[in-house]
Amino acid sequence: MVVPNALVIAWKALRRNRMQTALTMLGMTIGVATVLTMIALGSGAQKAIQDQVKAAGMNMLLVTAGNYQAQRERPPDDAIEMGRLHNPEVEMQPHLQLAMFHPEDDPFAVHDHPTSRQRLGDAEAGLGAAATLTLDDAEAVRKIKGVQYAVEGVHENVHVASGDTRWFTRVHGDGSALPEIRRSWKFTHGGFFSARQQRNKDQVVVLGSIVAEKLFGDKSPVGETVTLWKQPFKVVGVVTSANWMVTPEAGDDQFDAVYLPVTTMQSLLNLSKLNDITVTTESTGDVTRVAKTITTVLRSRHGIDSNHPDDFTVTSQASKALLKGGLRPDVAQAVTGNVGGLEKVTLDQLGKTLDKSSKTMTALLASIATVSLIVGGIGIMNIMMLSVTERTREIGIRRAVGAREKEVLMQFIYESVTLSVVGGLLGILIGTVAAISISHVVQWSTSISPLSILLSFGISAAVGIFFGYYPAREASRVAPLTSLRFE
Amino acid sequence: MNPVISVRSLTKTYHVGEHQVHALRSISLDVYPGEFVSVIGPSGSGKSTLMHILGCLDQPTSGQYFLDGRDVSRLSDDEISLVRNKQIGFVFQGFNLLTRTSALENVELPLLYGTGNVSAAERRKRAMAALKSVGLESRWDHHTNQLSGGQQQRVAIARALLNNPSILLADEPTGNLDSKTSIEVMEIFQSLQRERGITIVLITHELDVAAYGSRIMTFKDGNILSDVANDSRRHASGELESLPVPAEGVL
Repeated sequence: MVVPNALVIAWKALRRNRMQTALTMLGMTIGVATVLTMIALGSGAQKAIQDQVKAAGMNMLLVTAGNYQAQRERPPDDAIEMGRLHNPEVEMQPHLQLAMFHPEDDPFAVHDHPTSRQRLGDAEAGLGAAATLTLDDAEAVRKIKGVQYAVEGVHENVHVASGDTRWFTRVHGDGSALPEIRRSWKFTHGGFFSARQQRNKDQVVVLGSIVAEKLFGDKSPVGETVTLWKQPFKVVGVVTSANWMVTPEAGDDQFDAVYLPVTTMQSLLNLSKLNDITVTTESTGDVTRVAKTITTVLRSRHGIDSNHPDDFTVTSQASKALLKGGLRPDVAQAVTGNVGGLEKVTLDQLGKTLDKSSKTMTALLASIATVSLIVGGIGIMNIMMLSVTERTREIGIRRAVGAREKEVLMQFIYESVTLSVVGGLLGILIGTVAAISISHVVQWSTSISPLSILLSFGISAAVGIFFGYYPAREASRVAPLTSLRFE
Repeated sequence: MNPVISVRSLTKTYHVGEHQVHALRSISLDVYPGEFVSVIGPSGSGKSTLMHILGCLDQPTSGQYFLDGRDVSRLSDDEISLVRNKQIGFVFQGFNLLTRTSALENVELPLLYGTGNVSAAERRKRAMAALKSVGLESRWDHHTNQLSGGQQQRVAIARALLNNPSILLADEPTGNLDSKTSIEVMEIFQSLQRERGITIVLITHELDVAAYGSRIMTFKDGNILSDVANDSRRHASGELESLPVPAEGVL
């Protein structure tokens, strides 16, 4: 019974002091709007960083044919065992774990003689020219649990010609799922070739934006025909970078390049093997496990026993991606400068660093939010305190006509809660609009979650109660007689 | 007949620094229903202190105060608030209306407090009726600063009457009004006493205002000097008729 009446009274009292009410609300509105916009921009930035890291290949593995690790010769009988090499991150093959050297050898000597290279076994190691991966291997990898996409890759250089214009560039024979892996791609014209075109070995080509510009200028090349290896290819799309950090440049591997279905390329060049298989995992945290599974599967498929090294290499793309996939050269240099062996930085460590930086960001935002809300709350408290002094007479009148202490207390609490909640709601509105328009103007992704709206609302109500209670209690303790005498 | 107000050995002592001020020195009095008591005395005589204690705005130092037979001098704050809400109506010298608030909302005020939930429509209906009884129903939406002194005092009277109190306490109600509006206010008081049988206690320091009461009580130095029935009572309605009609703008 008392509650609705007190609310009515509070509302009427606020209406009496419109200017004061509006100004106090404005303080709260700005506070909440700031908080909401900050949170939206902050979480948007976080999301953008995560997206870009993903786009840069945090969840990517590259399986290359061949193995740079040479098979060592059986050590001589009089070699001295130095101990066991141990690397907790990577399971080393048993024959490589023993660190041995011959007493006559200088372990620090550089073996640059042709025979030493022979001993390292160029032929067996392959050094990239090996042809050990097949389409069936790719299919087997695709079936491993946790693998999102597995895309075959054959890479060559080629002359692309359109009429009299020629351009020497990279050609990639790939699976049709490639755009799913290259998240930082966008198509300015057309699209990527389809799975069906890949199956049919169609002579279709997707041009990188540099190639398209060199051959066709500003014109849309889609539907035109270009010549590779004196064969006509129909252009189905043009790809460029959607990532503001990466600009297509002549000589890069992604946009100064053309893409063909891997099947078309294999049949035209009479190839049966792949250079590499690009794999993405469904979750970033799963990369290490998937890498191990791929190794096991491929070793068994290639019939390699435990005494022989892999004839392929599985590398995570994180380090490579940090260097060329997303970062500006100067940033990449700074990163590599700080981290001695970037190759040794594991995905876990990178993930932890990102986690840490996003936690720092959240802490920063939270502290800004806290400060603005406290300022807004103190504004309300200030006005309410002033208002108690200023309105002593009003309180006296109310007490004289029968208002109880509790009713005066409730009136003032309702007033401050109304101020903060209505101010807060306006703030939510303005903050949402601001966040959306900022994201439009700056092209920054912002995300306003229902949770952050709910949180802002709850916090503004709490601020109203917390900062309104003390002034309200003061108001309720004003004796009716003194307040009537107050002029 | 039982007295509506019964006061026994009431004292009130203020402490001002080192000094003790005896505002009331063992007062005893009875007021019966339907009486119009004028309390007169110079300032500092204790008449305002009496009014504050009668109106439950202040507590006595000692003694007893029975309102409608109930000792209200030792009630809790909540109970006293309810007494002020239901049983007592106040009219002050300074009107004590809420500023920047319409006449109607000022009159409604007592219905927002106390027990029982009154709907907004019911509040409005009763407030309009009270405004009508003081002849201000056409000004219900005027803010208090848009009303003349006499009109403001009539709004205050309407507010005081809203909960049909058993007593109406008036503290110098004509102090801020000119003589003609004073007579108008007194006319309302006398008709309330006559038609509704409301008990009125009027505090004043002017003899000619006190003369509208049916009984005159004189205070001096915290004691009752005299308490007599008023034989030469003034009648406001008759005086209003005989007044010359002033030109517009004089008021």
